[in-house]
Amino acid sequence: MIVRVKNLVKRYGDLVALDHLSLTVNEGEIFGLLGPNGSGKTTAINCILSLLKYDKGEVEIFGRPMAPDAYDIKRDIGIVMQNVAVYNELTVYGNIDYFCGLYIKDKNERKRLVEEAIDFVGLRDFTKFYPKKLSGGLLRRLNIACGIAHKPKLIILDEPTVAVDPQSRNRILEGIMELNRQGATVIYTSHYMEEVERICTRIMILDKGRAIATGTKDELKAMITMNEKITVESFGITDEHISEIRKLPNIISVEYKDNLLVIKSGKGKNSFETVLDFIRKNEIRFDKIYSELPTLNDVFLEITGKELRD
Amino acid sequence: MQVFKLCLNIIKKNLHIMLIYVIVFLAVSLIMSSSMTGTGKAGDISFTGKKVDVAFISEEESALIDGFKHELGKIANFVEIPDETEALQDALYFRKVSYIVRVPEGFSEGFMRSEDVRLEKTAVPNSVDNIYIDLCIDKYFNTARLYVRNLKDISQEALARYLESDLAPAASVEMITNGKENNDHTYANYFYNFLAYSLLSVIILGMSALIFVFNDRDLRMRNECSPVKSGSINMQFILANLLFTVSAWFVMVLLCFLLNFKNSLSMNTVYFLLSSFVFVFCCCGLSYFIGNLIKSKGAIGAVCNIVTLGFCFISGVFVPQEYLGSFVLKIAGFTPTYWYVKANNEIAKLTEFGFQNVKPILSDLLIIIGFGLAFFTAALVAVKNKRYA
Amino acid sequence: MFVHIFAYRLKCLMRDWETILWTMVFPLVLGTFFYMAFSNLYTNEIFNPINIAVINDEQYAKNKSFREALEEVSTGDERLFNLSETTIDEANELLNENLIDGYIVVEMPIKLVVNNSGINQSIVKSFIDNYIHASSAVETILSIEPEQIQKIIDDIGNRETYVSEKKSTGGEPNTILLYFYTLIAMTCFYGGFFGMREINDIQADISSVAARVNAAPVHKIKAFLFSAAASVLIQLVEVLVLISYLVFMLKLDFGSKTGFVLLTAFIGTITGFSFGAFISAVVKKSEGIKVAVIVGVTMICCFFAGMMQHEIKYIISRKAPVLSYVNPLNLLTDSFYSLYYYDTFSRYFKNIILLTVFIAVFCSGTYLMIRRRKYASI
Repeated sequence: MIVRVKNLVKRYGDLVALDHLSLTVNEGEIFGLLGPNGSGKTTAINCILSLLKYDKGEVEIFGRPMAPDAYDIKRDIGIVMQNVAVYNELTVYGNIDYFCGLYIKDKNERKRLVEEAIDFVGLRDFTKFYPKKLSGGLLRRLNIACGIAHKPKLIILDEPTVAVDPQSRNRILEGIMELNRQGATVIYTSHYMEEVERICTRIMILDKGRAIATGTKDELKAMITMNEKITVESFGITDEHISEIRKLPNIISVEYKDNLLVIKSGKGKNSFETVLDFIRKNEIRFDKIYSELPTLNDVFLEITGKELRD
Repeated sequence: MQVFKLCLNIIKKNLHIMLIYVIVFLAVSLIMSSSMTGTGKAGDISFTGKKVDVAFISEEESALIDGFKHELGKIANFVEIPDETEALQDALYFRKVSYIVRVPEGFSEGFMRSEDVRLEKTAVPNSVDNIYIDLCIDKYFNTARLYVRNLKDISQEALARYLESDLAPAASVEMITNGKENNDHTYANYFYNFLAYSLLSVIILGMSALIFVFNDRDLRMRNECSPVKSGSINMQFILANLLFTVSAWFVMVLLCFLLNFKNSLSMNTVYFLLSSFVFVFCCCGLSYFIGNLIKSKGAIGAVCNIVTLGFCFISGVFVPQEYLGSFVLKIAGFTPTYWYVKANNEIAKLTEFGFQNVKPILSDLLIIIGFGLAFFTAALVAVKNKRYA
Repeated sequence: MFVHIFAYRLKCLMRDWETILWTMVFPLVLGTFFYMAFSNLYTNEIFNPINIAVINDEQYAKNKSFREALEEVSTGDERLFNLSETTIDEANELLNENLIDGYIVVEMPIKLVVNNSGINQSIVKSFIDNYIHASSAVETILSIEPEQIQKIIDDIGNRETYVSEKKSTGGEPNTILLYFYTLIAMTCFYGGFFGMREINDIQADISSVAARVNAAPVHKIKAFLFSAAASVLIQLVEVLVLISYLVFMLKLDFGSKTGFVLLTAFIGTITGFSFGAFISAVVKKSEGIKVAVIVGVTMICCFFAGMMQHEIKYIISRKAPVLSYVNPLNLLTDSFYSLYYYDTFSRYFKNIILLTVFIAVFCSGTYLMIRRRKYASI
């Protein structure tokens, strides 16, 4: 167990930001913290890192209690913050070298690590640039390089892909998975469900400071009743049709809005065929019809009654 | 008028910062002005009766010295200091006295025998007040010398008596006021001069906060993309700044008016207000120019100091214009502060308000307006030419 | 670790050359302005003849000796007065239009009519007083020894001076120097902005880079001190540049104790820096407020140390001496001045010790605020 958090409570006045949060992160995992804005992801991260004072709870990293002056623990942690944290007065190279130098004392080793980090994030052509001249995506890459250059055992990334172009985003996600393959444990927070689904091995969904579900992707999806979501784009659906569909076996809910018929079906036989039969039998005209497996958004929706995406 | 409203909002948000500046500089101005009127202008001894603090140390006693001390007492305030080097050095250092006169032993005897004897002085140099002490000493003993050299065998007591009666009368002085109230405008004069430092500082510091927000790159670009003419944007911005500066001016001037109420109910005050208003307009232009020229925040404080303190020193705010060299004044003439101070000094002396009397003041004010327009124009040119690389 | 943090911090600070340039240039320019303002007091070129008038009436015509005395000081290149002989109406008009500073009416006693009380009017009055006193003395002597008249006239012409200046072993009390010392002190205190910047970059609730540094395995206080060393170095260089300029270009006298002058500059830099850091750590509001507090407090302290008018300094030391000890800028100014003025070091060390107390207060306050702890909110 790399990280163990027990009953973490953090209040800002009357607002409870973290409500008895407990989590564990095992070695070699990519642990995802998923939740809408304001759910407490960044607060949790800052508490774990001992940057933020919390009211109750325990945090252990590498089996030892975490504290602001636990330097031996900090040496093996790398952080990539939500806000880009670099010095505008230093070049790309200078920034990475400076922050790496806070962790690695040996000059030669540091040089090697910095060069590796630059290549890893793909900033080789920009080493002499100053942060003000970089685009959003490149800036984020720099932000990451500063956090991982010293090859930490635990990497914590807090929403690292905000305002990033698709190419950079892809690269960042690939990079994280590579780091994981090289042996790092990763904690990754985001409110982008697709990213978390793509790279995380284990996921915790947060809402209002509370963990509402934890597990692998499949475990989470198994938690909900919905098994399949069928969408039909059609003009000609009548109320009669809707009530008929409702009577079909295994159907949980039917909604028709803006010419979109959304049918949710539960566990059991594949309902797609059944619906298709019904449509053909009633000669309903349609533009498109498709079936989806449940997403984390659906998980979140069912548990909390609201959308994950704002 | 969106831009104008935006600026007002920014000002409102930063009001507490501006308030700190206003209060600090206002307090400083008020203390300065009252201290200057309290101590009186240099050279006023004969009229206002302000006495110089003197330490009188005599190594002998004689009728001559007694008479001298009595005469000196008309313009000096004697302070008792023990006759030890360190105590005396300390007294000068802390200005308990600004002049130490020492009568060496044997002085009176030597003097009565027409020998070349001197009193010893240790004093703060470059002080106009101390010149009076020097003059008083010289006058007493030169007059005494007349007696000594021309009346044989005169005794010290007789000499002292004669001198006392000779030096008693003085010229009579009549102060003409033309039947009008003789208001003393020293306080107002000093306060308004000091505004060149305090008000300008408030304006530069306050406005720079505004300009930094407004010139933020992204905001500027957004503004420039809108269908509002850039000329209109600038005008509204300037208008908001003018509003701020005039409010600051009003607050500071109001306080002077209230605290100096007795002397403020005169035509002079109207001219002071006019002069400071014109100057404030010029200040607005100057700080607009500076705010757009200087990029770094730390630099603004530095430039502010040069422009306020520096200009004030060479323009006669802290060292009166009478004491400044002609070369310095020529250089100072390139700053609006110099003309403002000149106008104020003239206004303070005004007793008649006919066109002839007021003409020099009005021409000074016109020059200040010219400066203001020049600053605004230069700033607008700089703003217009700003394109991002 | 020291070299790493120090070197990078130096690089960072030097990149912002605009700030460094202006903060270095402004005291030099200000010092030059001071020098220009005071230069005249050194050379005494100030005197322009005073414009006066005398009423050309019967009394004036009769009083030959006064007329001659007046004429003597109104002719020649080094004359005291520009004299006009006028009627009373003309004189009043001239006075009204401020074309003359006053006019004289020969009465008993001689009368001076003015509409203002300034130095020019005082000088005219002094002249008249002198005349009255001298003629009174001459009359008295003549009443006793009438034959001495020629000798008396010769004697009056030969004025002697009866005062000799005693040179003190230390420096001469010199008010002009004080302005420059306060300028140096003010420059030291503007180093407070460097202190503010250091705090910004180490407090995680103010900047993101600080959060990153806080998460690193570096002792926070050490990181702060190493980084601060770079800032202090730059500030110290600026102060030394100013002092060199004042000594070598403007030829000011700092006394002969050069080593102590440099020491004082160093202590002043530390005081200013720690002051800025203290304010920044303690005032938990926006940067605008912090800047306002630093500028405001520095200006107030400058003012009470006598930068605008040296009189203020003495009024304070006479009426409220506690204030002069509580003002670190004043202490700094006095340190420089006591090095120049006194032979002994007792006053100097008194000031330095008080300054170190201030440094201790600022540093401990800063330490308490930034020492390794978690924040209530980031």
